[in-house]
Amino acid sequence: MSEAVHAFFDGLVKGGGRMLRQVSGTVRFDLRYPDRVDHWTVSIDQGQITVAHGEAPDVDTVIYTDEELFLRMAYGEVKPVSAWLRNDFTADGEFRLVMLLERLFAPPPNAYHPREVADCRHSRTAAECRNPPRATAASATDDGEPR
Amino acid sequence: MRGLVRILDGNIFALSEENGDMVFSPANPSGFFALDTRFLSTWRLSLDGQQLHPLAVHDASYYKIRFFLVPGNPTHYVDAKASVIRDRWISDSAFIERLTLLNHTNEPVDYVLRIDVDSDFAPVYNVVWPHDSTLRGYRKVSDGGLRLGYRREKFHRVTDVSSSEPAELDERGMTFRIQIPAQQRWSTTLRVEARVLRPDGADVRERLGHPQGRVGAPLDDDLSQWLADAPRLRCDWEQVTTTYQQGLVDLAGLRFSPLALPNETMLAAGLPWSATIIGRDNILTCFQTLPFVPRMAATTLRLLALDQGTVLDDFREEEPGKMLNEFRYGELAAFEHRPQSPYYGAADVTPLFVVLLDEYERWTGDAALVGELEDAARAALHWIDEYGDLRGDGYLWYQPRNDESGAQNHCWKDSPEAICYQDGRVPGLPRATCELQGYAYDAKRRGARLAREFWGDPAYADRLERQAEELKQRFNRDFWIDGSRYFALALGPDGDQVDALASNMGHLLWSGIVDPSRAAAVADHLLGPRLFSGWGVRTLATGQISYNPLGYHVGTVWPFDNSLIAYGLRRYGFLKEAGAIAEAVFRASQQFTGRMPEAFAGYERELTRYPVPYPAANSPQASATGATFLLLRTVLGLEPYGEHLVVRPAVPSSFGRIELLNIPGRWGRRDAIGSPRAAAS
Repeated sequence: MSEAVHAFFDGLVKGGGRMLRQVSGTVRFDLRYPDRVDHWTVSIDQGQITVAHGEAPDVDTVIYTDEELFLRMAYGEVKPVSAWLRNDFTADGEFRLVMLLERLFAPPPNAYHPREVADCRHSRTAAECRNPPRATAASATDDGEPR
Repeated sequence: MRGLVRILDGNIFALSEENGDMVFSPANPSGFFALDTRFLSTWRLSLDGQQLHPLAVHDASYYKIRFFLVPGNPTHYVDAKASVIRDRWISDSAFIERLTLLNHTNEPVDYVLRIDVDSDFAPVYNVVWPHDSTLRGYRKVSDGGLRLGYRREKFHRVTDVSSSEPAELDERGMTFRIQIPAQQRWSTTLRVEARVLRPDGADVRERLGHPQGRVGAPLDDDLSQWLADAPRLRCDWEQVTTTYQQGLVDLAGLRFSPLALPNETMLAAGLPWSATIIGRDNILTCFQTLPFVPRMAATTLRLLALDQGTVLDDFREEEPGKMLNEFRYGELAAFEHRPQSPYYGAADVTPLFVVLLDEYERWTGDAALVGELEDAARAALHWIDEYGDLRGDGYLWYQPRNDESGAQNHCWKDSPEAICYQDGRVPGLPRATCELQGYAYDAKRRGARLAREFWGDPAYADRLERQAEELKQRFNRDFWIDGSRYFALALGPDGDQVDALASNMGHLLWSGIVDPSRAAAVADHLLGPRLFSGWGVRTLATGQISYNPLGYHVGTVWPFDNSLIAYGLRRYGFLKEAGAIAEAVFRASQQFTGRMPEAFAGYERELTRYPVPYPAANSPQASATGATFLLLRTVLGLEPYGEHLVVRPAVPSSFGRIELLNIPGRWGRRDAIGSPRAAAS
């Protein structure tokens, strides 16, 4: 299902992630499939993102993962830093760009703005506020578009 | 915590008994720790089956120590026929121990020297808050040495133990059968490496360009260079010089290279339980030490900007623009039992980031960094209004979203009962503590300066200044308790005043949010009998129902807190009061051989005569160490003014003459000299 991967990177170029203007660097994603490895190179130049499909030898960081985990991170379902801590993917090169991965990916689905939580004045805890869950929660993860 | 012997190098450290042994039991915190994991929990030496006992322990430096041991129980005299020297140090992230066995007899003797080795691979959190722990993982003996490993899915931690001399290896340790000629010695060097392995067998740090320890020079050279670069202090009151020297060494010991900036160093927040990045402690310590060792501030600001929040995440209490509170690399963070990957549950770190960036530029003139961090600083300022102002009333509030493993209070007093009413009740949520409003005010004022002078955005600067002024007006109206004449500790969820008398309002003077007409009343409270113990300002005043002289945030005295309060008093012209706090805290440091403790008990000075340390405190603790530096800045009256360093000493008589030479800054190097005669008061 590398269509989903294509769709993600197309969306990334259009949406631009959440990069800061002062960030530059290159990250290559090596996505492992049973029969091949697909390479995607994300270049960040002063916050501007471009994507190339294919090998790029001189990059700052290489991320090795499979498509499933990649997409779960891309959709905001798995936090890149904890996945890295678990060794669910590995990184060579500059760790700085591992920390910045989150800026490329969609926000976690179902998260609350702190104001929404505070608005539940009568509840003492956030957990009570969340009952029942929000109506939008279910569908947000499926379309693959960052934001 | 008991007095364990420790060595450290940034976020790597070892704790042991007086004889150098680490003995495993659930409540025993000894071990060798790295990356928030205990890699060794058993490390016990015996000679011919006998335990060894210490005759002397010599801690030559923060990263090396020497134990002189004899077998058996020394009674009133020692007649050992053999002795052992254990030299221990940290090098390249490894724990090294050189064992030397000396035969004191005139015959050759056969010995059996044994070291027991084991590990529970416990996350450091479970060592701080003792859990039932068991020895875990696998053991593997090979030609090269003994490997202890722990796997969970792909998560893999390994302890590799090897010896320079041949040893008999088994899964529980190493045995040396040796014969030593008369009056001769034998030695071996044991090396313990803590490794974080990937599925391909490589250590993650090697593949991230991390130098595994200090960049370049060995630790000896590095320490002397660090000390030579720092300003030289001479003070008639010898204790002050001693505390300053100890402070410099402790800061050196706390330095480590973060993975994301592998060629720079910043501080671990405290040993042993905070050997990691803690946003608040890192920022405050940089602020405290800027006039002395300014370089760490740039690394700290860069690192926090790299890790700045970008999304809403309830578990980590992350929001766009928010600065992290704590980063951990261990199992609990990896498998999301705890949220520190990283955790953002703090409302103060984000405004303080802007405060530090501005203060850093004022000292160093490093305009490039102000440019590099423009977007991060703007996002931080935006966070205050968009995610901090929870009720849309212009105040900075917090309301935890992670009720299970997050902090209940998102300020430095983060323990659950710390924010309370005078009668001991705990307010509901959200809460807006007073010092947060001061930080937000200061951040907006300083952000305005950066916007005007560096970002070419005067309209933004005007807006920030207008907001700051409105916040100040509102704050002095809503937080001031008329009858008692002090600022409320917080506003509660209904906008009511949480009326405990606490040290927090001292920070308000630091931030400058206090209307000058109210400052004298605040100073009177801070130095009054309810808050001032004689050793410093208590976190919570006597007479409050929750007050407890041993309560972590409800009665103890914290040096870092006091340094900010003294600096704030000085800012409002209370020179004598600032000096009194500086004197009290240095006096207390005398009892701790110059090492500022994280906190000590709030007992009346008259009652105990000496400051009682808080039992579970970190030592060294970065921000406590930093107090020494900010107190010196306060009594010397050091302020950058344009391209110049202004020195306006207000030195209490107990200090005598103070000379601080070679103060680094945008002016190059300058000296500051002050003596009690020059004091204006």
